[in-house]
Amino acid sequence: MRRFGLVLLATTALSGCHMPGQPQPGPEVPRPEAVMSFAQLYGENCSGCHGADGRNGSAMELANPLYLAIIDDAALRNIITNGEKGTLMPGFGNAAGGNLTDEQVNALVSGMRAKWAKPNVLSGMTAPAWKASHPGDATRGAAVYAQACARCHGNTPQKPGPAGSILDGSFLALVNDQTIRTIVIAGRDDIGQPDWRNVMPGRALTDAEITDLSVWLIAQTPPHPGHPYPGTQPLAPHTR
Amino acid sequence: MPWYRRTYDWLERRLQLEGPIKDAVLHPVPKSTASWWYVFGSASAVLLVLQVVTGILLALVYSPSASHAWNILQVLNQQVPLGWFLRAMHGWGSNFMVAVVVIHMAQVFLFGAYKFPRELTWIIGVFLLLLTLGMAFTGQVLRFDQDAYWGLAIGASILGRVPWIGGQLVHLMLGGPIINGATLTRFFALHVFILPGTLLVLTVLHVWMVVKLGINEWPMPGRLVRRETYIQEYNELAHKDGLPFFPGAAWKDAYFAAAILLAVAICAAIFGPYGPTGTPDPTVINTVPRPDPPFLWIYTVLSYLPPEMETPFLLIVPPIAIAVLLGLPFVAGVGEKSWWRRPVAVFTVMFLAVCWASFTHLATSTPWSPKMNAWSGSPIPTAFLEHRTPLERQGANVFQEKQCRNCHSIGGSGGERGPALDDVATRLTEDQLIRQVLLGGGNMPAYGSTLSPPETTALVRFLNTLHPNYQPAASDASRAVAEQGGVPPASTVEPGNGQHKTQ
Amino acid sequence: MDEKLPPPSPHEQEQLLERDRISRRSFLMNVGLAINAAVGVLLAVPVVAYILGPVMRRREYLTWVDLGDAAKFNPGETKLVSFRNPFTNEWDGETANIPAYVRTAAPGRYTVFAVNCAHLGCPVRWFSESQLFMCPCHGGVYYADGSRASGPPERGLFEYPTKIENGHLLIEAGQMPTLSNRAAVRPCGEQSQPTLVKRIAPCPGTDEPTIG
Ligand code: FES
Repeated sequence: MRRFGLVLLATTALSGCHMPGQPQPGPEVPRPEAVMSFAQLYGENCSGCHGADGRNGSAMELANPLYLAIIDDAALRNIITNGEKGTLMPGFGNAAGGNLTDEQVNALVSGMRAKWAKPNVLSGMTAPAWKASHPGDATRGAAVYAQACARCHGNTPQKPGPAGSILDGSFLALVNDQTIRTIVIAGRDDIGQPDWRNVMPGRALTDAEITDLSVWLIAQTPPHPGHPYPGTQPLAPHTR
Repeated sequence: MPWYRRTYDWLERRLQLEGPIKDAVLHPVPKSTASWWYVFGSASAVLLVLQVVTGILLALVYSPSASHAWNILQVLNQQVPLGWFLRAMHGWGSNFMVAVVVIHMAQVFLFGAYKFPRELTWIIGVFLLLLTLGMAFTGQVLRFDQDAYWGLAIGASILGRVPWIGGQLVHLMLGGPIINGATLTRFFALHVFILPGTLLVLTVLHVWMVVKLGINEWPMPGRLVRRETYIQEYNELAHKDGLPFFPGAAWKDAYFAAAILLAVAICAAIFGPYGPTGTPDPTVINTVPRPDPPFLWIYTVLSYLPPEMETPFLLIVPPIAIAVLLGLPFVAGVGEKSWWRRPVAVFTVMFLAVCWASFTHLATSTPWSPKMNAWSGSPIPTAFLEHRTPLERQGANVFQEKQCRNCHSIGGSGGERGPALDDVATRLTEDQLIRQVLLGGGNMPAYGSTLSPPETTALVRFLNTLHPNYQPAASDASRAVAEQGGVPPASTVEPGNGQHKTQ
Repeated sequence: MDEKLPPPSPHEQEQLLERDRISRRSFLMNVGLAINAAVGVLLAVPVVAYILGPVMRRREYLTWVDLGDAAKFNPGETKLVSFRNPFTNEWDGETANIPAYVRTAAPGRYTVFAVNCAHLGCPVRWFSESQLFMCPCHGGVYYADGSRASGPPERGLFEYPTKIENGHLLIEAGQMPTLSNRAAVRPCGEQSQPTLVKRIAPCPGTDEPTIG
C-alpha cells in the first residue's frame, strides 16, 4: 500500500497537467438531439448517399457550389426534413419520423453553406431558377433531349450512349422532374458531368428548355417500370 | 524504552494479536511455493482492498437515485477534482480484479491445489469468483447510463425465460414492473452491502484456510495425493525443505501487488473512466448497448446460439457449470497434481481460454449486429461508383436507402451481419440476385413487399456491377442455351466460356 | 508478557462443559436458544415479505394508458411515441418514460409494439425506408407487422393490447414486456401481413425459417 500511496501522491502532483484519460468536458455520449456539429450530423446522416465530403456519392453532389447557389435555405430545409417525394431521398426530420430536430436541420443547412458555397460561382451569369416557374411542354422537351442529351445518353433505352441511358423506365421511376432539373442546371463536377452552360454545344440551356426537358423525360416513364413481365399485375402493392 | 515501544506493549497486552499473527506469517511453507506463479491470490486480495477503498471514496459523492445518478457521475467526471481518476481506478480495478481472480483460479486448477485437504478452499474460491462477477455486473448498473439500462433489460429478459416463475423473478430483480429507481437502489444495496460483505467474509475464510492448511506445494509428476499420508508428507516438505512464509515467499507477493496497483493507476490515467455513456432514458432509441469487458463473451454466445437452444442454454448451462466447479474437488480430490500428467485438465484450460479470447474479441467488433448508421453514414467507395450508368447509381441509392448497408459491407465498411458484397456479382447471377433480394433467405429478411419493381431493378443492376478487378461475373449457362433456341453449345469446355456475362 | 491471563486449557474447558451438561443451567440455555429460534422465524416473516414486496403486490402491473388523440397517427406510418409509466415514483426520473411504436396499418387499425426486442429486450429501431425493425444487440430483425424476419428472436415483437376511447388510443401497459408475462401472449392469424411474408411464414411467432 505504500507504493500505492506514492502513486496517488504522484498523480495528485500531476493533476495540474492533463492526463490522457481525463474526460472531455460535456457528456461522453450526448443526447441525440444535442448533437450540433456539422461534421457529425453530416457524417452520420448524409454521407452514405451524398459522399464523404459532399462529393462522389451515389446521390446529388452537395458540395457543388452551383447547386448551393440556386437552392435557398427553405427548400434545403424542407428536403432534409420531409424528403423529396418521388425520389429515394427520405425525410430526416422528426416530423417525418426521422431523428433530426429543426435545429439540427438548420445546422446542416448552414454547415453546408459555410463549407461548400462559393460566392462568385455564377460570375455574373444568372442561372435558371431551382424551381420550375411554369408547366413545361413535353413535345419541345423531346427536341431539347435530342439536341442536348442524346449525344451521351442515347436515343432509346435499348441503345444507351456512353454515359448510360436516362430513358430507362426504372431510372425514371426513381427520380422526379426536380431531380432532373437540378442535375441539368448544377451538373456534377465531381464526376465530370456538365452544368446547364455546357450541355448544349455552343450555348447554355434556357430555363424554359430545362422545364420542357424534365417534363418530357418524366413523361417517358412506362406504366409498369422495372417490371419484368409488364402484362401481369405486381404481386404485392407497393407499401410506400 | 522508547515511547513507541511502550505504546506497542500497552496495546499488545490487551489485544494479544502478536502470537496468532506471528504464527500465520512465519509458518513454514515448502520452498517451491516461493514462486512467481503463487502471487495471484494475494494480488486478488490487494485488488479487493483497492476496490473497497475507491468504492468508499466514490460513495462519498454518489447517490443511488434514478433521476440523479447519471448527473452525479458527470459531476464526478468534470467537477470533483480527480473524481474522474477515482472512477477510473475503480473501473479498471474491477477489470483487473476479474482477470486476476480468473488467472488465480486457472493456476490453482492446473497445480491441483484444489485436491485434499483444500477442497473447501476451492469451493469458497468458486463463490468468490461468482461474487466478483456479481460485483462487476452490479457495478456496471450503478453507472446508470444507457448500457446499464439495457444491460438490466437483458438480465430481466433472461430471467423472464424461467418457466412458471419468470414473471415474478423479473419483478423481484427490478423491484417493480420496470427498470426504475427501485431497480437502482436494490442494485446499490447489492453492490455496496450484500455482495462486498459476503465477499469479505468469504475472503477471510479463504485466507484462513490457506494459512491453516498450508500453501500448496509445487506439484511433482508422480507425487500422488493420498488422504492417509498427504498431511504428513506436506509437513515434512514444509519443515525439512521449507522456509518461513515471511519474507521467504511474501516478497514476491509484495512486488506483484505493487506492480498490479501501478498498472491499474496507469490504465486509469491513460484510458480514463468508463462512461457514463448516454442518459438512462429508454426513449432514446438510438443506442447500441454494449456490456462491460468481463461480460463481452456472453454477448457473443447470446448472438450465436440458435434460437431454439437459447432458453435451455441460458437456464441450464450456468447451474451445470457452477455444479461442475463445486463438484470438482470431490470427483478429483486425490491423485496426480502435476499438469504433466493431467492432459485433460490442461486442454480444458486451453480450450476455455481460447474460447474466451475469441468470443471476447468477436464481441469488440460485433459482426452479428446491424450497423445502425451505416445506411446513412457509410459512403460507398468511389471505385464502386465509377463509370456506372444513371440507373446503377440509383441502384446504389436504393442499396443505401433500404438499409442494405446496415448488414452488408462494401469496401470494408457497413454491417457484417450478411456477407460483404464487394464481389457479389461473381457469386450470383442477376436472376439469383433478384430472388435473394425479394424473398430473402438464410438470415436475410424478404424485401419483396418493400421494394418496388424499379427499385429492385436498379438495386440488382448496381449489385450486378460488383465484380471488381476484371473478375468474371457469375453466369447462368442455361440462359445461353435458351437464347440459342434450346440448342446446347457444341462443347461446354470452350475456352473463355462463362467468362462473359450474358445480358 | 507474563501477566497475560492464560486461556483455559482444552481439558479445563471440557470439564466446565461436562459439569453443566445436565443441569438447570443447560436447560435454561436450551430454552433460550429455542426462544431465539422462534423469534427469528417470527422476524423472518416480515423480512421475506418485504423482500418479495414487488412480487406479492400483484402478479402483473397493467393498466390502460392514454397515448393521445388517435387521429394524429397517419395510416401507413409507424411512429415512435412515449408515455409515462403508470406505476412510478417521482425519483424514477426519465427511466419511467417508456417508448412504444404505434403502427397504423389502415385507418383505425392500430398495433402498438413494445420497443423491447423479443430476444433479450434491447431497443429495436424502426426504419421506415425498408419497413423493418432492427435490433442493435444481436441482430434481430422484424417486419413492419412485428413478425420475426431474421436473427435470434424466436417470435415477433411484443404487442400492447389497444382500444379506442373518445377518439383516444389507449394501450394496456405498465410493465416491461418479457417472455413470461402477458406480452408473450400473441394471437396468430388474421394480422395484416405483406402477402409475400404470409406465404413464407404462415404464423408469426413460430420459429419457422423465413425461407430458403
Ligand atoms: S436483444 Fe434483440 S437480438 Fe438480442
